[in-house]
Amino acid sequence: MRNRGPFDLSPAQEFAAHSLLILLSIPAALPLLWMISTSLKPDSQIYATGNTDNATAFLQNLLPHPVRWTNYPDALKTVPFGLYLRNTLCLCLINVVGAVTSSLTVAYGFARLRFKGRDFLFLLLLATMALPGQVTMIPVFALFRWLGWYGTYLPLTVPSFFGSPFFIFLLTQFFRGIPEELSEAARLDGAGEWRIFFRIILPLSRPAIATCALFQFLATWNDFFGPLLYLNDSSRYTLAYGLQQFLSQHGGQWAHLMAASVLFTLPIILLFFFAQRTFIQGIATTGGKN
Amino acid sequence: MATEPTTPEEPTIPDARSTRREALGRLLGTAGTLAAVAVLATPPPPRPRTRRVPVRFWHMWTAEWEAVIREIADRFNESQSRYEVIPLSVPTASADSKFLLAAVGGDPPDMMAQWNLVLATWAENGVLFPLEELMSAEDRRTLRTDTYSFVRKVGRFQDKLYAIGIGPNLSVCFYRTDHFRDAGLDPDRFPTTLEELTQAGETLTRFDRTGRLKRIGFLPTEYPQFAGLFGGGFYDETTGTVSLNTPPNRRALEYLAEAHRKLGFENIVRFTSGLTGDSGGSVDWPFISGAYSIVVDGQWRIEQLAKFAPDLPYRTAPLPPPNGGTPNAGWANADMLLIPRDARQPEGAWEFIRFWSGLTRPETAAEFFLRGGWLPIRPAIAESPIYRDYVRKYPALRTFLEVLPSPNLQPPPPVPYQAFLADSISRMQDLVKRGTLTPERALETLETDIRQERQRRRKLGYAE
Amino acid sequence: MRKQLVAYSFIAPWLIGFLIFTAFPFAASLFLSFTRYNIVLPPVWVGGTNYETLVYDDPLFRKSLWVTLRYALVAIPAGTVAGVALALLLNLNLRGIALYRTLFYLPTIVPTVGVSVVFLWILNPEIGLVNRLLGLVGVVGPAWLQDRHWAPWSLVFMSLWGVGGSMVIYLAGLKDIPVHLYESALLDGANRWQRLRHVTLPMLTPVIFFNVVMGTIGSFQYFTEAYVMTRGGPEDSTLFYALYLFNRAWRYLDMGYASAMAWVLFVLIMALTGFLFVTQRRWVHYGD
Repeated sequence: MRNRGPFDLSPAQEFAAHSLLILLSIPAALPLLWMISTSLKPDSQIYATGNTDNATAFLQNLLPHPVRWTNYPDALKTVPFGLYLRNTLCLCLINVVGAVTSSLTVAYGFARLRFKGRDFLFLLLLATMALPGQVTMIPVFALFRWLGWYGTYLPLTVPSFFGSPFFIFLLTQFFRGIPEELSEAARLDGAGEWRIFFRIILPLSRPAIATCALFQFLATWNDFFGPLLYLNDSSRYTLAYGLQQFLSQHGGQWAHLMAASVLFTLPIILLFFFAQRTFIQGIATTGGKN
Repeated sequence: MATEPTTPEEPTIPDARSTRREALGRLLGTAGTLAAVAVLATPPPPRPRTRRVPVRFWHMWTAEWEAVIREIADRFNESQSRYEVIPLSVPTASADSKFLLAAVGGDPPDMMAQWNLVLATWAENGVLFPLEELMSAEDRRTLRTDTYSFVRKVGRFQDKLYAIGIGPNLSVCFYRTDHFRDAGLDPDRFPTTLEELTQAGETLTRFDRTGRLKRIGFLPTEYPQFAGLFGGGFYDETTGTVSLNTPPNRRALEYLAEAHRKLGFENIVRFTSGLTGDSGGSVDWPFISGAYSIVVDGQWRIEQLAKFAPDLPYRTAPLPPPNGGTPNAGWANADMLLIPRDARQPEGAWEFIRFWSGLTRPETAAEFFLRGGWLPIRPAIAESPIYRDYVRKYPALRTFLEVLPSPNLQPPPPVPYQAFLADSISRMQDLVKRGTLTPERALETLETDIRQERQRRRKLGYAE
Repeated sequence: MRKQLVAYSFIAPWLIGFLIFTAFPFAASLFLSFTRYNIVLPPVWVGGTNYETLVYDDPLFRKSLWVTLRYALVAIPAGTVAGVALALLLNLNLRGIALYRTLFYLPTIVPTVGVSVVFLWILNPEIGLVNRLLGLVGVVGPAWLQDRHWAPWSLVFMSLWGVGGSMVIYLAGLKDIPVHLYESALLDGANRWQRLRHVTLPMLTPVIFFNVVMGTIGSFQYFTEAYVMTRGGPEDSTLFYALYLFNRAWRYLDMGYASAMAWVLFVLIMALTGFLFVTQRRWVHYGD
């Protein structure tokens, strides 16, 4: 069922939009394409390039010939991929659940409730993001040591349950955009704030929630320094650490590095591809029914 | 491909069914989290219970080198029954932070491998264990009489040895014999003075019709090395002070500037940036493609060439000094093994270092050196049968072994502001090589910068 | 009173977390900024010497501050415009839009090595895409990252690659705009441009505000790309504040001095954020 809504385009406009998008997506896709191409090249081809004066030779060299699929199994053999994947996924799951639930609650408080010291606390929340992490690293590390958490997963998981300032700020902005009348009506019906939060605000905020979940997932997925800093046993490390194992001081196996990078990126791409539907099923089509 | 629903699907106020579904979802989510926590909180399977004392060893090697390190550790663990070395690869970018945080927290590893410019700073602040305290009388004797002097120098800070330079990193000339022949030069007679080398470079350089560079014969790049060849350097061992704006240092920088000016500053930037190897990790070396006829580089290129360009006609030779200069001189560094002051097992760590470095059994250790592609630390290793075979296989190594005993090799200046000094020097050399500053101005600026930094340190109460 | 308690129960997680995990490190680093502290030895109180030296005796401090400020001034507006425009484009009802969205999000997912290598290639003075294209129209392109005049702007250009991150947020914001607003705009006979101007953009302002504030914080702490690609060069033209701070803290082992640098930056960021918050009354539209 396709009615001519505010987002529909005429065929000519549609064509223009497609052309523009295709043109712009070329540079966006290049890094991945380059990674894939390099990951399939034999070593001799990677090393045999150099000063490429003529354009044809240069272009020919962009594609692998012959295609070397074995770079992938070879790369997989270098690090315990399955183990790292398990560790990474567990950390991601815990952090996504922790950060999203706690941030949602806090954001509701800041966005929709009035209380003493709100503005000050909100400023404080923003302030926690304004100091470079380089200089708080030592005290934070000392704190976790003092708590006896050094060498465990706790420093990498527990803090996320206390809300992330970035998400709280983001969700606050979203919540403030939701018409106040919705809450007022519910309050008149005798609903408490927690009820309003669960029944009205949350269902209306799916796109924002999905965004936060995605960002947190990505942050944990990519975090290489955290696990490295707090854990001292290589069997507990994550994929991001495994990826670092392919980068070495003197060159090393470039094709393997790229194969590993592709494997590292692929799950996120798939996740995003399927998750982006969530953004569409937001309240765009339903929010107006009130 | 996903098609978008254009009709409303989600009711705004959830009905009872979807509430129940949500509740179920939440429940499952919580259960999943708890399960994940349980899995993660389980301690990793305990290592096979031996009665051995663990020696925790952090190093910065990755990829194929990490496997070599693991093998050396295994060999050590098999060789005796007291200690168990447990290696952990900590990639370079974060190695220093991790180490320092652990050291400050009182829980450092028992041993670490390093090649960043940290030795002087760490030693000065008491982070490192003076190795002499762990050495037997015989170790000390071997070290004094039977290791290369550079190895002793590179791990030293103010009269104490804090590290064993397991792999000295030297630079010599790699040159293309085919280019030499084409240009009418004799590859058997590599220049023995810098003046001759410069001339040979000019003969080998090629331009295209439009005057752009097609091939660079020879281009000096690393200022600290040339400073040494001109009889200069940045540290005066006798007085224990840095020396910057000295006549030989000035001559060396003028030589560098002149070489760049001759080829054209802009020309060089364009040419070098067109070399794919100069971007993104430099795995592909422009020397292979013939962009340079003579380059100065390290011993690790030899195995790389054997692997990826086995037919490349090349040889190596020492970088010659100018007339009246100092041969086989210049700034060199090493991969170093060190022991933190608060290590729980300094003795075990030292046992491992002895084993690996070949202070006790050079014949056994020789194998490690060739597996890692490291230059030996003592003649006894270089002369062992297995290392000799290795040199026969890679004759290009001979040049490195020739340079290695040189007393003129200079480790990075052992001053507490070592990294700052190194950064400042490379900043100035960059300015000169781009033609932005004259060598004279650059050295004056360098001197001012270092004076200011020392002043700053004095004001704050740091050691200078 | 009860209302206050309920409100505090909502923000409790963060408040408790702040007191446990954040308050102490903040206070500690503020204290360290008044000390001589080389990480290894215990800190020694030196009063305001770090700050004094920063302001009067450190040319690199001033240089890096200027490099960062200049970057922020260009990158934040450019990123905002690009992000909103891209989100509007990706909000269209087109076939295959899911694929487009994924493509534009790619650069933020792909490991930095991949992005930086391709970027270096595109901006390569000799064989790079940009200069080859310029060459077709007879222009000799600059040396980009190898040229101290162009390197900072090259990094701004590269930052547009990462616009996918804010695009996702804008997209979520666009999806939150109630359809009935468009319906009434249509009833009033508003054309596409008028709907954009009077419905979409105003309704998007809370999210734009968010991205501008976060962009400010992010730009002033800009680090990774410069660290990976230019290391501050050529000729210090990309010596960003956070890069210099990192060197001071971890390479030159002067954490006291680096802490002072961090607190100067902190005050600067908070002043700008405060300024943005004051202005938001004029241009940000909330539902309340």
